[in-house]
Amino acid sequence: MPLLLLGIATIVFVVSRLTPADPLVSIVGERNLNNPEVVAAAKQRWGLDESLPVQYAQYMKNLMQGDMGTSFTTRKPVFDDLVDRLPATLELTATAMVIGLVFGIGLGVLAARNRNRFIDHIARFFALIGSSLPAFWAGLLLLYVFYARLGWLPGPGRLDPRATAPDEITGFYTVDALLHGDFGGLRAALAHLILPASVLGWGVVGIVSRLVRASLLDEFSMEYVRVARAMGLRERTVVNSHALRNALLPTITIVAFTFAFLLTGAVLTETVFSWPGVGSYAVESSRNLDFPAIIGVTILGGFAFLMTNLVTDVIYAFADPRIRLT
Amino acid sequence: MIALGLITGLLVAACGSDDASPDAGTPDGSVSSSQATDDATGDSAGGGSETALVIARGMDVNSLDPQRAYCDTCQIFMTAVYETLIGLDVDNTTLVPRLATAWESNADQTEFTFTLDPTATFADGSPVMSADVKFSWERQQGLQGSASYLVGSIASIETPNDATVKVTLTAPNSAFLAQVNAPYLGIVNQELAEAHGATADPETDTAEEWFLSNSAGSGPFTLAAYTAGSELRLARNEAYWGAAPAFPEVLIKETPQAVSQRQQLEQGAVDIAMQLSADVADGLGGDDLVIEQVPSFNYVYLALSPGAVGGEQLSPEVREAIRLALDYEGLIDATVGGAGRAQASPIPNGFAGTDGLAVPAQDLDAAKQLLADAGITELTLDATYPSLNVYGVDFSTAMQKVQTDLQEVGIQLELNPVEIAVWAEQIGADGIPVTMLYFAPDHTDSSQYVQYFGLMEGTQWQGWSKADANPAEAPLLDQAFAAQDATERAALYSQLAEAMIADQIIIPVVNPDLFLASRSNITGVRYSACCNLVLAELGRS
Repeated sequence: MPLLLLGIATIVFVVSRLTPADPLVSIVGERNLNNPEVVAAAKQRWGLDESLPVQYAQYMKNLMQGDMGTSFTTRKPVFDDLVDRLPATLELTATAMVIGLVFGIGLGVLAARNRNRFIDHIARFFALIGSSLPAFWAGLLLLYVFYARLGWLPGPGRLDPRATAPDEITGFYTVDALLHGDFGGLRAALAHLILPASVLGWGVVGIVSRLVRASLLDEFSMEYVRVARAMGLRERTVVNSHALRNALLPTITIVAFTFAFLLTGAVLTETVFSWPGVGSYAVESSRNLDFPAIIGVTILGGFAFLMTNLVTDVIYAFADPRIRLT
Repeated sequence: MIALGLITGLLVAACGSDDASPDAGTPDGSVSSSQATDDATGDSAGGGSETALVIARGMDVNSLDPQRAYCDTCQIFMTAVYETLIGLDVDNTTLVPRLATAWESNADQTEFTFTLDPTATFADGSPVMSADVKFSWERQQGLQGSASYLVGSIASIETPNDATVKVTLTAPNSAFLAQVNAPYLGIVNQELAEAHGATADPETDTAEEWFLSNSAGSGPFTLAAYTAGSELRLARNEAYWGAAPAFPEVLIKETPQAVSQRQQLEQGAVDIAMQLSADVADGLGGDDLVIEQVPSFNYVYLALSPGAVGGEQLSPEVREAIRLALDYEGLIDATVGGAGRAQASPIPNGFAGTDGLAVPAQDLDAAKQLLADAGITELTLDATYPSLNVYGVDFSTAMQKVQTDLQEVGIQLELNPVEIAVWAEQIGADGIPVTMLYFAPDHTDSSQYVQYFGLMEGTQWQGWSKADANPAEAPLLDQAFAAQDATERAALYSQLAEAMIADQIIIPVVNPDLFLASRSNITGVRYSACCNLVLAELGRS
């Protein structure tokens, strides 16, 4: 894994430095680009006056010691930035995954059990919308309806602008509020999660429901399902206790990688909802050509995918005894 | 299913609104998180100035180190936390005492002496002394931050006693007092800053990270907390030596989208939004809200670079033709829905030297004639521009309108929107024949525009446009710097404005109005030329 991460860091380092763009504009502002003293001072401070190989050697040396460098834009260590922002993204992503899984599996089962009927068509349409609707558009629409017009749900951000975040224990506002016994805070944090998590989770619903439907239909054609039905088992038992368990196996991989993708890919949702997570950090870093931050986010994304791979293998082993036996 | 989820969520939100009264603020003015849902349902916290003031803004903070900060939000922050020697009155013109009670200069504008207010203290109670001024400005010079040009003309700073600062400049500079008024020249507590690693040497200075969560100023507010991409939280300086500000706490919440700013303002979640574009501000109002449309000094301009690769045909005649071909009223309508003004020169309306300058107008026949005289029958130009939306002006919309206008006289623009980092690389290397950018003032003197846009050795646009220097401009600027009389200076800046118009390098296309939107019970909201928004002037009625 460390070698893979170093490889990722190397590729991103080289690609970002070869981009025909000038990161100094985000450091000194476009107004100072022709000011030789200011430009020279900035280059020296951020190590941009060194040759590319020297910059690379310095970066990798620091990275080996756990130092991801300092962000050009936040002026803080990138590692600290990621640690600060990861809980917000994890909280959002986890909630979105719960929404995606609960509704995705439910919808998939309904669609499979009602194949080619009205419910199946509705489920397909819903999944299609969820998978294809741009997140920023869905986000703006839901904000407009449920926040601006109806006032039923809170607006952007993890909490109301006037509210104070609970004292940090985990960085998850819901968990921290619960640990402090602040149930008002817990409700507020949950309320703020609903819209962004729904937008993010809708896409997951689309993927999961179609996958579950297809897998379940495959399972329905299997002999063991016909045997179970022939034995007079109730349809609910056949589906939930037998077919669904097997149908969920291929879903595990997709769900796991969707989770990893959302960790760094919830870019638009975080932007629309002013959610201070890794996604919005990635956007700002890219816009400002903030090299250390870009590489930091990429390493985090790579780490998330590698860990997901590992966790998926473990879950597979639990879910499918055949894998444990081999 | 999603609807079911939303309904479940709505129940959660509804439950949350039962147990928090609207005035459940804590003694320090902050509000517990449980109030969040109350505000979401439209019940503002309310209750007078003892609750926090909340501003929705797209923050562009590059640093909170007073000698490195350089951004619009930094102007608000610096004004609130680090006071300058000289302030600016509400007329946006008159300089007034702040940390300095008096100042004077010698006849040739090379020596300035400031007398400090003996009652001025930093937030930790220590007095503001001349050594702090010397340290702050020398650190600004030494670190070579983005605002260091403001102290670039300082040769030496003497402190004959604790209350006197004597500054000697390398050359006459009548703009120096206006520069001293710029928020970036706020004064920092030397002892406190040095204790946390601040030095004037970039090799040894280590204070920037400390300044991200602490402050060392004498202003009416102190920095309480800053989370990049989330919020900037200021607390009232309870030991402030001047009139105490009304609000115990001010929160600037990261809200990059104008639509979100409006929604949060309408819902009562925030008190002020001042980055609304004309289309977003349209229809905003009602008993609870006040929206004021005011002229600003910010503007967006088209820039022509005859020295850029591909810009060789941009002779003075062709540049003049481009200037005459533009439909300025149409540009203002297309970009800001008419909520803006045309601007004659690179020095914006309202600054010294702009009275009586003729506002440009479209004249297609004259433009075609100029092109014909120049032997131009067909001309295609690269128009790479940064993909920005600044002050409510979408650059793509503006450039498409420019493209349409120029087609009328036979000039084709190849529009190429790019990220600003890519744009910066290109303009610094080969240059860009036609591009678009924006400018907002750092202080109230017209010299900043000449130093940036004039065709003089070392200016930003002389470098980027690669145009020949205009030999008339440098002597005129020297005269303006040496002039003591304001009328004389204005006349010189008027000549400089005419000269820059004749250069035809910078063509202002729109000077957008600002929309200052606030809850109707918020008082003191105004646009300040130096400082954007002065938090200490705000109150709740």
